[in-house]
Amino acid sequence: MTQTRSKLRSLITSQVGKKLLTGITGLALVVFVLEHMLGNLQFFAGDDAYNAYAHFLISLGPVLWVVEITLLVFLLTHMGLGINIWISSRRARSSKYLKSQSVGEPSHQTMSSRSMLVTGLIIGIFLVIHLASFKYGAYYETTVNGTVMRDLARLMRLKFHNPAYAFGYPAVVLILALHLRHGIWSAFQSIGAMRPSISVPAYALSGIFGVGIGVGFLIVPIAIYFDWV
Amino acid sequence: MPPVLAPKVPPGRLEEKWDKYKSRVKLVNPANKRNHTVLVVGTGLAGASAAATLAELGYRVKSFCIQDSPRRAHSIAAQGGINAAKNYPNDGDTIWRLFYDTIKGGDYRSREANVYRLAQVSNEIIDQCVAQGVPFAREYGGLLDNRSFGGAQVSRTFYARGQTGQQLLLGAYQAMSRQVAEGNVEMFARREMLDLVLVDGHARGIVTRNLVTGQIERHLGDAVLLCTGGYGNVYYLSTNAQNSNVTAAWRCHRRGAFFANPCFTQIHPTCIPVSGDYQSKLTLMSESLRNDGRVWVPKNPGDERPPSQIPEEDRDYFLERRYPSFGNLVPRDVASRNAKYACDEGRGVGSTKLAVYLDFKNSIERLGRHKIEERYGNLFEMYERITGEDPYELPMRIYPAVHYTMGGLWVDYELMTTVPGLFVLGEANFSDHGANRLGASALMQGLADGYFIIPYTLGNYIAGTKLDEVDTSHNSFSEVEAEARDRIDRLLSIKGNKTVTEYHRELGSIMWDDVGMSRNENGLKSAIGRIASLREEYWQNVLVPGDATYHNKYLEFAGRVADFLELGELMACDALHRTESCGGHFREEYQTKDGEAVRNDDQMTYVAAWEFSQEEQESKMHMEHLEFENVRLTTRSYK
Amino acid sequence: MTIHLSVWRQAGPESSGTFENYTVNDVNEHMSFLELLDVLNEMLVRKGELPVEFDHDCREGICGSCGLVINGIAHGPQKRTAACQLHMRHFKDGDTIVVEPWRAEGFPIIRDLVVDRTAFDRIIEAGGYVSVNTGNAPDANAVLVPRDDVDRAFDYASCIGCGACVAACPNASASLFTAAKIAHLALLPQGDPERTHRVAAMVDQMQEEGFGDCSNYAECEAVCPKGISISSIALMRREYMKYLVSSTEA
Ligand SMILES: Cc1cc2nc3c(=O)[nH]c(=O)nc-3n(C[C@H](O)[C@H](O)[C@H](O)COP(=O)(O)OP(=O)(O)OC[C@H]3O[C@@H](n4cnc5c(N)ncnc54)[C@H](O)[C@@H]3O)c2cc1C
Ligand code: HEM
Ligand code: HEM
Ligand code: SF4
Ligand code: F3S
Ligand code: FES
Repeated sequence: MTQTRSKLRSLITSQVGKKLLTGITGLALVVFVLEHMLGNLQFFAGDDAYNAYAHFLISLGPVLWVVEITLLVFLLTHMGLGINIWISSRRARSSKYLKSQSVGEPSHQTMSSRSMLVTGLIIGIFLVIHLASFKYGAYYETTVNGTVMRDLARLMRLKFHNPAYAFGYPAVVLILALHLRHGIWSAFQSIGAMRPSISVPAYALSGIFGVGIGVGFLIVPIAIYFDWV
Repeated sequence: MPPVLAPKVPPGRLEEKWDKYKSRVKLVNPANKRNHTVLVVGTGLAGASAAATLAELGYRVKSFCIQDSPRRAHSIAAQGGINAAKNYPNDGDTIWRLFYDTIKGGDYRSREANVYRLAQVSNEIIDQCVAQGVPFAREYGGLLDNRSFGGAQVSRTFYARGQTGQQLLLGAYQAMSRQVAEGNVEMFARREMLDLVLVDGHARGIVTRNLVTGQIERHLGDAVLLCTGGYGNVYYLSTNAQNSNVTAAWRCHRRGAFFANPCFTQIHPTCIPVSGDYQSKLTLMSESLRNDGRVWVPKNPGDERPPSQIPEEDRDYFLERRYPSFGNLVPRDVASRNAKYACDEGRGVGSTKLAVYLDFKNSIERLGRHKIEERYGNLFEMYERITGEDPYELPMRIYPAVHYTMGGLWVDYELMTTVPGLFVLGEANFSDHGANRLGASALMQGLADGYFIIPYTLGNYIAGTKLDEVDTSHNSFSEVEAEARDRIDRLLSIKGNKTVTEYHRELGSIMWDDVGMSRNENGLKSAIGRIASLREEYWQNVLVPGDATYHNKYLEFAGRVADFLELGELMACDALHRTESCGGHFREEYQTKDGEAVRNDDQMTYVAAWEFSQEEQESKMHMEHLEFENVRLTTRSYK
Repeated sequence: MTIHLSVWRQAGPESSGTFENYTVNDVNEHMSFLELLDVLNEMLVRKGELPVEFDHDCREGICGSCGLVINGIAHGPQKRTAACQLHMRHFKDGDTIVVEPWRAEGFPIIRDLVVDRTAFDRIIEAGGYVSVNTGNAPDANAVLVPRDDVDRAFDYASCIGCGACVAACPNASASLFTAAKIAHLALLPQGDPERTHRVAAMVDQMQEEGFGDCSNYAECEAVCPKGISISSIALMRREYMKYLVSSTEA
């Protein structure tokens, strides 16, 4: 048999290794956004509750840093591999078909799957703006139950009364939903967890989760803009 | 009296011959094997298994095939199964029984010692294939499953759904791939062997054409193994793959290898009928369909009513009528012939009137659609895909088609031809199936030859033969190459008016009408004349497009059809000379009052091996007498 | 019926190709697609033009030789059907059909619709076999194999190596072909001893051949004439994880 490369290199550079990594990092990111989305929904419980929740997270200190750094590494890995996969796939078909179409079922060639790179990149750009706007955005203070903490709720209200944020965000999270419509199912397939018996329901669930996460995110800015909360 | 050929069968009791042979055979020193190159032409079951095994033993192997990958050889299409005398079902099977059934099935025109050896090694084949990961059907307990197959009273057929040939070939192909990776086999795909090179009377090389670049190449070896399959495509339409051909065998025949029993052809009764003259091949459907389907045609010629409107009293279930005890389950040749008769009488069905019905209505009523679906679902699907008709609603239309050629290059017990150093394996040789092949025995033979027989007999030849040091610049190579080039140039330069396909189709119709399912003296004589003049015309008037410097499929076909045009005549001569009806060879003059075949054991218990003669018009016949020391010749009866 | 064809013509690997338009009259609905090309070719040959080169052999959907992208779909619109088994009754009178070769870096074009698929052979050579020399096998029934395992192994083993999966995959990935062989052997006890090495070597080889990565589009399964499931690809990835954590030397 032919000589194979070292295992670490295999994980990072082989076609299967790369997918294991996009899958694992993708899933971890999904867990994060799910948690983040649910956290955001606390906004409906009132500004204090929301600020207290954010403060609780910040007070985790080193634990949070570890999580943040891990997420950052995962995100960069995910992004890097996503781009790498896209490039090597273009290379694998340099001359294009005149005509090309999907034959349908059971193909998962959809708008979602074909636009992963684009949707991913939009999310990436969004993240920079997003972090600049919030994490590193204006710092207001408030006191909740005697504790001084950052008034993120105020920042949110401020930002989302700006129509650019109020409608830009929902647009982006819908794009995220599109990324996840294929992505969640795909990640399980990538890490080898998919079986024929669960593949069809899993694909449907992936859609539900994707859209669910999108809608969960979307209602907060909309609600703020229209002053429902 | 024609000259007599000696098959070199070892002495001793039938049961001991092979073991004795193996223990006395000369061996090649293991360290020395690397110095011997073996050219294996063909990568079907026979070729792939031989290439893999010889490479494992240490020989240097060069392997050739026409297709873009060795995995696509025609063996891939075999459906039904492979026989072995394992007796796993405990239903009384033995090596002897498998041997006996095969000899009897071959209508006593095959060589006892070869067939016995085949039965002996059959079990090892199954072991080998399972070890390679061939997914044979199994029972719930995890043991291998067997089914019964035409002509046997025991269940001895191993199968992998309807794709047994595919799975066996992939097993052999993978074994060969491993040797390619290890550098022991050098694979030459998209190559066609154009001729054999003899040096001092020994087979020492071949000349091939690279089908992509058109280059003519020379290959030198210590022996040549021809594993190039059957020549059913001489009939134009057959169940064979489009690339199946006789060229390699025929070129060797022209260089001195005798061609044995060329007229023994098997015609399979259950194929999807021809739908129009654009038809390029015929598709086989498993014989098992006859277990539950009833074959019929309208009683009256010219009855144009759709099948559902023909009442019972106007139908003729001709097999049930003529063969009350076997009914629809008579052997292949009998079923085929009777379908032809019905159509000859103008009672054929469908738009071409060249088909009979195979009707499942009664079985569906009796067993339920579900049961039928379970048994034949995939076959029904295949039928519907091709014909666009639903066989659950309408009776199937079937017609016989050429399926297998029992004849082939003559080989002795060691599988060597009359040219020293030229061995022939698989369907390309004539040896094991006599005048008729039983179902599931071709796969067995191909693998037996390649895995278990040639490793010994080739070693014996190589160890016992002193070959001169030559290289491919030797004169013989140059001469053969020049001839091959010349032939191609001639074909290309004719630029006539008729295409290769037209000629092939014409040859096919002569063969089918007069050298097909039933033959007679007049027809054969006229066929010989017509083939000869067609061949002459071919070389004056064929239109081959393009040139020889790139992938040119029609040029490939042109060369093959040219050889078929020579082979066809020999087949007709052989059929004419064989004044008896046996197996697939039915001579109308030799039948009983009710149309059953009559063998002529007194005079015709021999193999007719034809020697090509360059000068004389006619090929010269040699005889190998078939000695039956262990079985008694009986007449088949299915009444 | 009358069929208009737009066929890719390319003289050789280095040449650039173009589409040529042809019209074939009197097409019979029972013709197979390849028989339509036969008729076209006869027509061209008689006119003194060069026929369209395409690969074909068994014409019954088992050898894997034929391979045409028909109207943008590998093997054409009929599912689970190789081009040779596709019949003209699935088209309408007057249709225009675009016929292209498999397009992938791993499958260089030889001429017209003929491509070089030897990359698949090399993937098998990298490890798609069980190392058992002839004559070394134990009795066939010595190892029991549960029927379900064999059935699943068979599903994967039925791959005909046609390359439609690569042709249809937007990434030109050979994952389905490679995974089908890995899955076939991984599901049988005979394939067990070499499993980690096999998956590592075969996965490396498919990449070396220039095929793309797999983004789980599953278009391959949809066009596969044998309906090989992409669950084989999931299985290949599980096998690969086993390799990564195994003691198999890299
Ligand atoms: C539809 C069908 C179903 C069948 N089912 C069964 C069955 O169920 N059981 C059974 O036992 N038998 C069956 N048979 C018969 C059996 O499949 C064949 O007899 C057998 O596979 C022949 O194997 P082979 O190795 O001799 O030749 P093939 O498989 O025909 O291989 C021939 C090889 O030679 C190469 N070749 C030919 N000419 C040249 C040349 N000039 N130069 C270079 N290479 C060349 C080809 O490329 C190919 O690789 C069936 C046959 C058909 C048609
Ligand atoms: C930073 C920007 C991002 C980019 C550029 C990006 C890009 C990609 C690309 C190209 C793929 C497809 C990989 C392939 O074709 O095999 C992909 C898959 C995926 N992405 Fe992203 N992505 C980004 C962010 C995210 C985020 C934030 C999430 C989660 C919330 C996410 C979740 C997923 C998942 C689950 C998959 C499926 C993984 C797989 O197929 O194995 N991605 N991403
Ligand atoms: C409407 C939607 C969203 C709102 C209201 C929102 C709000 C916030 C706020 C307020 C913070 C700052 C938290 C802090 O600094 O403690 C934050 C951080 C963050 N958000 Fe969002 N967010 C939204 C959508 C998203 C989306 C779609 C993503 C990713 C795809 C995302 C990724 C992040 C990340 C990575 C951080 C930094 C987390 C950290 O440093 O721990 N957010 N978000
Ligand atoms: S997996 Fe399917 S499409 Fe791919 S080569 Fe095999 S049979 Fe063809
Ligand atoms: S279509 Fe391509 S992306 Fe993967 S699932 Fe099939 S190989
Ligand atoms: S020609 Fe064999 S699969 Fe189509």
